[in-house]
Parts: sequence; structure tokens; C-alpha cells
Amino acid sequence: MIQKELHDKRLLKEAEMAVTRMYTRRHFLMESAMGLGALALGSLLPGCGTGKGSNNKIAFDPAHPLAPRMPMFPGRAKSVIYLHMAGAPSQLELFDYKPALQQLDGQDCPPSLLEGKRFAFIRGVPKMLGPQAKFAQYGDSRAWVSEHLPHLSGVVDDISFLKGVTTDQFNHAPAQLLVHTGSPRLGRPSMGSWITYGLGTENQNLPGFVVLTSGGKFPDAGKSVWGSGFLPSVYQGVQCRSEGDPVLFIKDPEGMDRNLRKASIDAINKVNEEEYKEYNDPEILSRISQYEMAYKMQIAVPDVMNINDEPAYIQEMYGVQPGRACFANNVLLARKLVEKGVRFVQLFDWGWDSHGTDASLAIDIGMINKCRQVDKAVTALILDLKQRGLLDETLVVWGGEFGRTPMMENRDGKQNPFKGRDHHVDAFTIWMAGGGIKKGYTHGETDEIGYSAVSGKVTAFDIQATILNQLGFDHEKFTYDYQGRPFRLTDVGGKVIREIIA
Amino acid sequence: MLLFIPEFIGRFHPLLVHLPIGILLLAPLLQWLSRREGYTLAAGVLNVVWLLGIGSALLSCITGYLLSLSGEYDKGTVNLHMWAGIGVTLVAMFAAVKVFNKQFDNIYKATAIGLLLLITFTGHLGGSLTHGGDYLFAGLGDGNNRTDEKPVLIADVQAADVYADVVSPMLKSRCYSCHGPQKQKGGLRMDSPEGLMKGGKEAKAFIPGKPDESEMIKRLLLPPSHEDHMPPKEKPQLSEAQIALIHWWIEQGAPFNKKVQTLTQPEKIKTYLQALQGATTEEKKLPSNVPAAEVAPAAEKDIAALAAKGVLVMPVAQDVHYLSANFVNAGGFSDQDAALLLPLKQQLVWLKMGNTGVGDSTLQVIGQCPNLTVLQLNNTSVTDKGLAFLQPLSALQSLNLVGTAVSAAGLEQLKGLQQLQSVYLYRTKVTAQDWPQLKKIFPQAAIDSGGYVVKTLATDTVEKK
Repeated sequence: MIQKELHDKRLLKEAEMAVTRMYTRRHFLMESAMGLGALALGSLLPGCGTGKGSNNKIAFDPAHPLAPRMPMFPGRAKSVIYLHMAGAPSQLELFDYKPALQQLDGQDCPPSLLEGKRFAFIRGVPKMLGPQAKFAQYGDSRAWVSEHLPHLSGVVDDISFLKGVTTDQFNHAPAQLLVHTGSPRLGRPSMGSWITYGLGTENQNLPGFVVLTSGGKFPDAGKSVWGSGFLPSVYQGVQCRSEGDPVLFIKDPEGMDRNLRKASIDAINKVNEEEYKEYNDPEILSRISQYEMAYKMQIAVPDVMNINDEPAYIQEMYGVQPGRACFANNVLLARKLVEKGVRFVQLFDWGWDSHGTDASLAIDIGMINKCRQVDKAVTALILDLKQRGLLDETLVVWGGEFGRTPMMENRDGKQNPFKGRDHHVDAFTIWMAGGGIKKGYTHGETDEIGYSAVSGKVTAFDIQATILNQLGFDHEKFTYDYQGRPFRLTDVGGKVIREIIA
Repeated sequence: MLLFIPEFIGRFHPLLVHLPIGILLLAPLLQWLSRREGYTLAAGVLNVVWLLGIGSALLSCITGYLLSLSGEYDKGTVNLHMWAGIGVTLVAMFAAVKVFNKQFDNIYKATAIGLLLLITFTGHLGGSLTHGGDYLFAGLGDGNNRTDEKPVLIADVQAADVYADVVSPMLKSRCYSCHGPQKQKGGLRMDSPEGLMKGGKEAKAFIPGKPDESEMIKRLLLPPSHEDHMPPKEKPQLSEAQIALIHWWIEQGAPFNKKVQTLTQPEKIKTYLQALQGATTEEKKLPSNVPAAEVAPAAEKDIAALAAKGVLVMPVAQDVHYLSANFVNAGGFSDQDAALLLPLKQQLVWLKMGNTGVGDSTLQVIGQCPNLTVLQLNNTSVTDKGLAFLQPLSALQSLNLVGTAVSAAGLEQLKGLQQLQSVYLYRTKVTAQDWPQLKKIFPQAAIDSGGYVVKTLATDTVEKK
């Protein structure tokens, strides 16, 4: 009992302190002195804007944080579907055809490739590993695609390939964070959060940013890759499931009817409104609107997340497996969500980390199975968006967080039991389609063994800048003030890849 | 090693020069002030100031002379700058003698004013040496040419001179400021064939026919963070196409008087050369789906009236008055409500009306919106009859009729819409036999009647073991 009393006492004291802190004379004086100082400083530095024209105003209204907003300039794309193959697929078995690498198959890696380099697992001198797939050229654009993607090879004329993507992170979590938040460390808002912050959501019954995962595991970087960082929390990705309840805990519990739910939400909101009158904290308004959104989502989400109402031939086209959590289901859902006005749909499919440590992670076994799981669905997505007239305004991005080495992995200097490749930062392939991106185009090249990009080198920042550009944002002016300085998705980097813009 | 010491000392010149500039500007000012009431200074203080000024001026002269020995700068300007600098020192000495003797006569005053002017002149010359002669006024003019000047387009690239018209303009915009008439960093001057052939102090600029062994190409291709990368990473860089063209020119033997058409051109180079001809041959870019002409803003109340029906009406971008109307939250919108669009007919450019209750009589209203570029009517009850109303929409670029009852006969009425680029006809009455007719109706547009099939392959459902 004593402990409980002590605990209560302490809580009470803390609360009292918090209240008094708001009212003390000293606090008031300190606040006003600092406030005045800041005001004065602000007026002294009128010229220190982020650019001429100050085009970076985002009309943020805390009472309606998800209200639709206009971009800086008319954007080509209205929404984005980002398909992230978590674990990093091998560019050398899918798109980056390197016959010269076959000649070196089984030979020791020349020291020039290892000098000054660090790898996640390769130690000592590894052997080179030739392409484990047959390649052919497809479409009018004569794009190289391997036999592992028999469906996708039919739609290459709708795609722009970026073959010279590079990164500076060779571990999954930081590399994924870099791709999605613009920083390898935790704490930055994800791309989807930035976009929802900038554009709001068109459909007032659905979240603006939805996340779907498959492959049995979350991405290594966890939920931070769809977190809102320092942006108001209302912009974080809403994770939905394609199996069971789409959004956990959104269904009314047994015995509670919808009117009662409405009444309770109204009551909670009334309390929150009182709270807001007292403290004027805009986060309270966000909270009110989130309750209202959740109430509307109770009806709208199960509706849009139901793939059973799609005709059989569409289900067949994507290769869905109703009732199971799988990538194909998620892809079909992505199309449905975009159709309903959702801005950013982010898909993570785990299982592409082909080190060769076991059969499921072998480049010639597990990776082929991963290809079979995604190839048909991704192809169907492009064609289905196209026939609905949605591809023009939906930007589809496909890629991993880094590439894979032309060398066979020798973990800790010993040969792995299966054929595999280590993480590789100097070259990998990401592709984009739709949303005003060039059709049937390849940008960038790697050297003759696919080790480094030799032309058209791009980084995650460049891709982010391009995505923002297609949505109507100048990535250098699209900022959010936090901790006394403006932050942007692309940090201090990024150049729009003009070459792939139609 | 000892040979480098003078040059090393010389490199302190840009640092040291600022001392005499500051001190010698301050000295006459303090001198003048100190004779006014309330500003009196002890004579000794002023003497020290003058001595410091003269001392730093002497040091600047010495380091400046050592720096000029490197030969990286334009000789004429360096000479003038040197004599002006020595002049400053001498004039300052003369003024100081006057001050020490307390002779504040008119000669002193004239000397002091002359000193100020001479410092300004010398400083300007020095600035021109380091930053280039056009540095000071580069920011003026039309205000836009600071970052990147518009490239000069070549009328017919094949008939152009490969050096004079293709290579030298690139060198001019990216290299001359350090390797031109003003400065010759590393002893290299690139503004004439002779200078290019001669090369720099360390190496030839290039070896004709061997681009990969040429110093110039090597330095262009080094990573920007590398010390020897050219241009230095804080300066504007050459584009990939420009580097490829210079590489190609050296590969062709670096000719100075040949026409482009006389040289062999790989496919890639051909496209880069084409690009120099400018917009006429550049790849076709998507036209903007927002009109260039300005429009008056729409009235708030008209937007609010649509908003009350759940229609999302908003400008297509900040500071633009053209509007997009999105009906994603307005499934109940029907023909009775269509008149609400009329007050906005000039502003509306994108109309996303899919999955609403509208039919042919709404099309009559839509037909009166002359600036519409994007029109989505998918899954509505519009028919062939209604399409006739769309004939006046001459700016229309994209038309989505997916899931409607339109047929080829109805589309025939839209023959005059020249701007149309995409027509979506999935799940309509259009059939495969209509294709030749549709191609004739919309020769420019991509017509998509959908119905794509992704065949299930045996491997799709099998797991490899």
C-alpha cells in the first residue's frame, strides 16, 4: 500500500509541477524574454528565406490535417505505388545483363575490385559468380530482362529503367531508411508522410498513405520506413493487412453498435475540444480529426480492402490468393486504393536477401520463387492501371534498398552452401513506370561486370527528388521547420532525373 | 622541395592583402576623426596604425610578387596590379611621413584621398585576377544568367565546325574562367588551339586519338570529391553529354578545322549532337495539361456550392487559378447538379467525374468548359448521344470513357479534337473490328481498349526446390 501511496503522491506532484510551470512569474518572464528575442531576431533576418518567391508554403490546418492541398506546380502524377522488394533483389539476375561476368565465373575476384571496399559478409578473396539466368531483349525499347520475369518482359515499353542506382549503406535497415526517409538514421519522416503532408488526401474516408506488407516479415528497418518522423503523427503510413481485419482494432467490439460508437467518439471529441480551448495545442485538433477519420474508415476500409468483389478475370490477372497474406493480393489492393484517391501506397515484400546461406536465400532457388510471386502481379498492375487510364497519373516504382555483388558470397571467408551474392552499394536497378515517366527507356549503365555504375549514376535522393517532381513539388523548397531549421526529404542532395521524364 | 617555398609563401598573398586594405582605409579615417571633439586619440596610436598598414602592404607586395611567378595569371593584369600595389605602399609611406611630422596640409589631404582611390583600384584588379574580369557585373543584366546561361543552339549541327561550334563553346562556359585570358591555372590556357595543344605545366591537355590517356578526360571523369577533378567541385560541372562529346572529339584526333559531318559518329554521339540543334529535334516532351494563358480566379461561392455536394474543387497548383474538380467523394453527383459547374467553366481544366451518377445532359454542361484538358467519365451512364456535346473541347488531351456505353460511332463525333493524346475505352461497346476506324478518328492519340490478359504460366504457381 505504501508503495502505491508513494506512487500516487509522485504522480500528483508531477502534475502540480507541470501546471505551476505554466503559471509561474519566472516562467512567464523567461518565456516572454525569449519570445521577444526570437521575434526580434526573426525581423532582423527577413532575407534569410529558403529561396526566392517563398513558394514553400504548405497551408497546414491542424483541424483538417488531411484536407487536400495543392502542389507547387501542376504535377503529372497524382499518386504513387512504391513496390519495395525488401532484402534487395539481384540486378544481375533480373535486368543488368553482363555476359562478360560469365567468362569470369568461378575465378578469384581480382584484387582491384576489393581494394578499399567493405562488404557486409564477404571476407578475403571471393570467387566471381556469372549471371544465373538467361537474358533476352524485349519490346520496341529492346530492354534486357531475364527469364525469371517472363511476364514483366511484355510490358518493358511502359517502363523506365534506372540501371546506375547507387547507395552508401550496405546494411538493410539503414539502406531502407535512406530510400524511404532520406536518412540512414531513424527519425526522419518517410516519403509517403511527406507527400501526404504536402498534398493531403482526396478521399476523406480513407487514409492518404497506406502500407501493405508481405513475405512473412516486416522490412528490417521496421515501421520507421513509413513513420512520420517529426511531421505531425497523422501523416504516418496506415498499415493494412490483406488477411483478416484490414486494420487492426478498427472493428467495433461484439455487442457495440455503430450508433453507440458514434456517440462515444462524439463524447471523446467534445472532451478534446474543451482541452483544445484551454491549451490551444494543434495536436489536439489532429486527434479529433483522427477519431472522425477512424469512424469513417470503419466502413470505407473493409469495403476497399475486399478483393473478393473484383471480377474473376481480374483476380486471375493478378494471381491473387484470397484469404491469404500475399504480394499479389497487396498489389491488387494497391490499385483499388489508388483508384479511390489514396496518395501513396507502399508495399514491402520480404525475402529477396539472396546470400546463399540456405535454399530459400539461394540466387538460383529462393530468388526464382520470389520472382514467381511478384512477376505476374506487378505486370498485371501496370496493365490494369493502363487500361483504366490510371497509369498516366500513377507513378509505380519498383526496387530494393541496394544491389548484389558480382562475386559469390563467402561468408567469413568460407564458401556458402548455396549460390548467393552479398549486399552491393555501387550499382543496382530500380524502375519506374507511369506518372509522366518516359515509356520504354533505360537510363544509366554499369561496367562490363556490373560492379559499378559508369553513367547515369543516381542515388536515393535523386529518385526521391524525381518522385516529388512528378507530384508537383520542388524537393529543394518543400520543407518543414523543425528544431530551428527547415528539413527536406532529400536532405542536402538530390537532382531530378530529367532524362526519364516524358 | 626548396623550390616550392617561394610559391608556398606566395599563396599567402590572397590572405595578407586584406590587412593593408583594411588598415590603410582605416588610418586616414581615424586620423580625420581624431581631430574632432570626443574622438581624440593619442598620436602614438595613429602612428602604430599607419606603421601596421605600411608593414602589411610591404608583405603583400612581396607575397604577391612570389605568387605572380607561378605564371597562372594573365600577365598584363598582374603587371598592372603589381605596380598599383607598389604604388599603394609608396603613397602610404608618404602619407605616414606627413602624419609623423604633423603636416596636415592640403597635400596630406590629397594624398589620403588618392590613397583611398588607389586601394580601391588595386583591390579591383586583384579581384579580377582571382574571380575573372566579368565577376563584378556578372550578377547584373537580366538576373537569370547567373546559374546557367542558355546554350547557343546550332542551326545545322552536321554542317557546323566541330571545334569552333561544338567543343569550344563548352570549354568557354566551363573552363576559360581559370584557363583563359585572365588566369592560366597550372599554366594551361584553353581559349585557343595553340594553348590547348601546348597543354599545362604538368602534362599535355590531351593526346589526339587517345581520349582515355588524355589528362583532360581523366580529370573530367574523376569523382568530384577528388582533388584533381575538373572543374573543381564548387564550379558548374560539364554534363554527361558534354564530356562524351569532348571524349569523341579527342578520339577523332582533336581536329580544329573539320566539319562535324566528316567525322564518324557513334549512335550515342549522334543523339548528343542532335540535342545541340535544340528543340526542333529534341525528344517530344509531354505538353502541359494546364493552359499557358492566365485566367481570372473563380468565385469562392461557386467552389463552395460544389464542395457542398462533396466535390473537391481546387487549383491545380499554388498561384494558379485553373481548377481541378475531383468527384471521388461525390458519388451521388448527378445531372441535376451539373449546372453548378457552369460558373467555373473558364477555370476548369481537369474533371475527374468517374463513378458518379452523371449522364448525357451533364456532358452538355461539360462541353462549355473550353479549357478542359483531362476528362474522366469512367463508369458513368454517358452514351454516344452525349459525346456530341464534347466537340467544342478543342484543348482536350485525355478522355476516359472506361465502363460506359459508348461505341465507335459515337467517338466519330470527336474527330475534330486534335490535341487528344489518350483515349481510354476499356469495357465499352468498342470492339476489335472498330480499330481501323478509331485509328482514323484519332491518328495522334494512344487508344487503349484494355482487356489485357496476363496468362498464367506453369511456373507461376510452382515453387522451385
